[in-house]
Amino acid sequence: MRRVLLSLTAAAIVAVAGWVLWERARAPVATPIADFSAPFVFGRFSVPPDNPLTEESFILGRHLFYDPMLSGNNEVSCATCHVQALAFTDGRAKSPTLSGGELDFSSMSLANLLWGQERFFWDGRAASLEEQALLPIQHPDEMGQNLDNLIAELQASGIYRKMFRRAYGSVSAENTAKALATFMRMLISSESKYDKYLRGEVRLTAQEEHGRKLFMAHPDTKVSLRGGNCIDCHSQFLTSGFRDALDGFSNNGLDPDEALPPGLMAVTGNPAHKGFFKVPTLRNIAVTAPYMHDGRFETLEDVMDHYNDGIVVSDTLSPLILEADNAPDNGQGTVGLRMTPEEMQAIIAFLHTLTDEAFLTNPNFSDPFHGDT
Amino acid sequence: MKFSYIAQSILIGTGLALMGMSPALAQNREESQGMVLLRGLPTLDTSHSIAIVELDPESDRFGEILSEVEQPDMEHPLHHLYYSPNGRLYSTGLDPSCSLAEIGLSRDSSGAPVISGITCLDTQGQMVGEDIMWATSNGQEYMFVTFMGGVGGDDGGTVGVFDPQTNEIVKVIEARKSQVGEGEPYIMYPHGISAFEDRMVVTSTVHPDLTTGVGNMLTIIDLNTLEPIENIVVEKEKPLNFPSSPVEVLFVRPTMHPEIEPAILANTMFGFETWKVPYDADSKSFGEAEVIYSGVANETAVPLEFYGSEDELFISHALPGVVKRYELAALPELVSSGPDIVADPGAHHMIFFTSASGRDLIAIQNNLLNLGNSADEDPTDVDFIADLNAHTISVHDLETGERIATIDFKERYNKGVDNVEGLFGSGFVHHH
Repeated sequence: MRRVLLSLTAAAIVAVAGWVLWERARAPVATPIADFSAPFVFGRFSVPPDNPLTEESFILGRHLFYDPMLSGNNEVSCATCHVQALAFTDGRAKSPTLSGGELDFSSMSLANLLWGQERFFWDGRAASLEEQALLPIQHPDEMGQNLDNLIAELQASGIYRKMFRRAYGSVSAENTAKALATFMRMLISSESKYDKYLRGEVRLTAQEEHGRKLFMAHPDTKVSLRGGNCIDCHSQFLTSGFRDALDGFSNNGLDPDEALPPGLMAVTGNPAHKGFFKVPTLRNIAVTAPYMHDGRFETLEDVMDHYNDGIVVSDTLSPLILEADNAPDNGQGTVGLRMTPEEMQAIIAFLHTLTDEAFLTNPNFSDPFHGDT
Repeated sequence: MKFSYIAQSILIGTGLALMGMSPALAQNREESQGMVLLRGLPTLDTSHSIAIVELDPESDRFGEILSEVEQPDMEHPLHHLYYSPNGRLYSTGLDPSCSLAEIGLSRDSSGAPVISGITCLDTQGQMVGEDIMWATSNGQEYMFVTFMGGVGGDDGGTVGVFDPQTNEIVKVIEARKSQVGEGEPYIMYPHGISAFEDRMVVTSTVHPDLTTGVGNMLTIIDLNTLEPIENIVVEKEKPLNFPSSPVEVLFVRPTMHPEIEPAILANTMFGFETWKVPYDADSKSFGEAEVIYSGVANETAVPLEFYGSEDELFISHALPGVVKRYELAALPELVSSGPDIVADPGAHHMIFFTSASGRDLIAIQNNLLNLGNSADEDPTDVDFIADLNAHTISVHDLETGERIATIDFKERYNKGVDNVEGLFGSGFVHHH
């Protein structure tokens, strides 16, 4: 009997050892994202050939996104400034620094990053999501992490070693960036009221429909066409920007020349880009206050007031904004859309149709270290 | 009808956003991809389908079917594709079991477009769907569809009014010649459709069996009441000794170009003519109809479609297979803007796009009536004029008309090609 037990035990040990060796030796697994489907009307997207969308990379990226291990003090994760319920913003005008101060910019909303843009951050300083992913981690005021230290910490974790092995084969900074990029690419929002309207599933209210038409129209007093002029800059409002590298950056009249921050010019060196900032997605805009790159406007009403009567003229102000005026003969000495309060409220009502509650509560995008997901 | 700004944003804007890509991605430009309705040819044992085809001759994949889904099992195929202002894709159909359908589109994990399904819609018995347009009645937008067979009968024909959100039928506009009083306006075999302000026009083409009856007039519908209010006869020469059979119609209007005086243009399939009917928007009255193009005099036959660019109007003539081009600003007069674009017999629908290198192109689908070819002993052939079924798409330089390349669908896929539409919509004035 004892011999039998010893034999069985030995066999079990050999089996486990074999499995462990096989698990460690085998190539990464590349399981396609199950039931992947994206709206046709969002347009074509492309994924880097060396970082395809897979279940394994998404799972790894989700864990990394929510893990404070990524910061130098092990207290700050990506999710600290990118809260799902706030469409992955943080509700602050400017996110806090590690030392208690404020960063230069507001936390950007994350949604539908699969589409469009080739430049990331408000000032376009990153040329890919993979490049973007590592910059906050290393920034001394944001997460303050040394990449070598981070890789050592991840390497020391058996769970992460396994997830990295399955997703990419090994733990590395490059693969950390790839996994975070995959998680962010999979943050697809397509269940807002407006999405359902486009699919014919719901109707807009009269006010929302009025706002939709104003949103889409450039004002033309010659033909009595009133417009909010929004689409001129926000044509990619359902996704996250333009494919062309420098399209989708604009000076929207926030500051005079003497106070205009560099913006995109800091990246390109081109003075014509001074004060240019990324035109953000408007998806979930109702939950991403405060607004603008520096969070200067607390409400959508404040934003509408700015475009209606508060445009500050500077050398690089968008001509699309400068010439958009519903009452150019009023001679008020200001630059703006000059819409009625009812029209502004209609646009705001339309903007609320872009809120995607399913996205904001999707358990697949939530913190994997908490709850039952 | 031009696409609304939102449709341009959704459809064309996303396509244009693809410009300026790296050479590697140039092969994936969607702007040059077309949606086609393919017809199974009985003698070649193929089935009806809808497909996405690469139409850029500069692409290594030129002529390749990128995605294809079989149509529902039915005798007659889907007929004509239209994008709604919100970017939903519809098709009319010739088979009574599916006279109107919505086509699902999505994207796979590579970003490639995928035809995800075909849903036949309830038309309440209306058959043989032809053209679709979205127009407003009393401030409410509707989807209007012409059904050449109507709900049946020798003088059938209806215009279906659908809720554009739910696809549910709101009203069937019907006025049979045999049932309205003498001299009262009627609708019969409606096909082409167009509108300006509160006036809509539909044509009276031919009974779907092609033998029972042929029309020769236009019907004006009051969009305030959704009732027919006037018939206008468009018939002069009868080269085939048939009634004129007006087919596609375009209500030219100032929104197409500020210099345009409103008028109806109508092509007569069997009269070979293009007609003009002036319209006075102030009095809401139509002037005398007159022929402004004679196919007999110009040795062309079976004029079909109207398409427009920013500065030109294009009219296809199935025989000998040419597309004529005119100054848009000169409408409603037809002032030539260049030599004919020589396509193939059956020249019919067209789309406009640019090649990967930025060359402006026009792709012309050459086939009429979804029918087969008697030379193949195809039982669906109705050879009433002969040789209108080239089953090709020819691609031409838009500026010079030079043919750059041709896809022969019958030779390559054993199928006919019945319709072409841009993957993101044509982005041009289309029919209406």
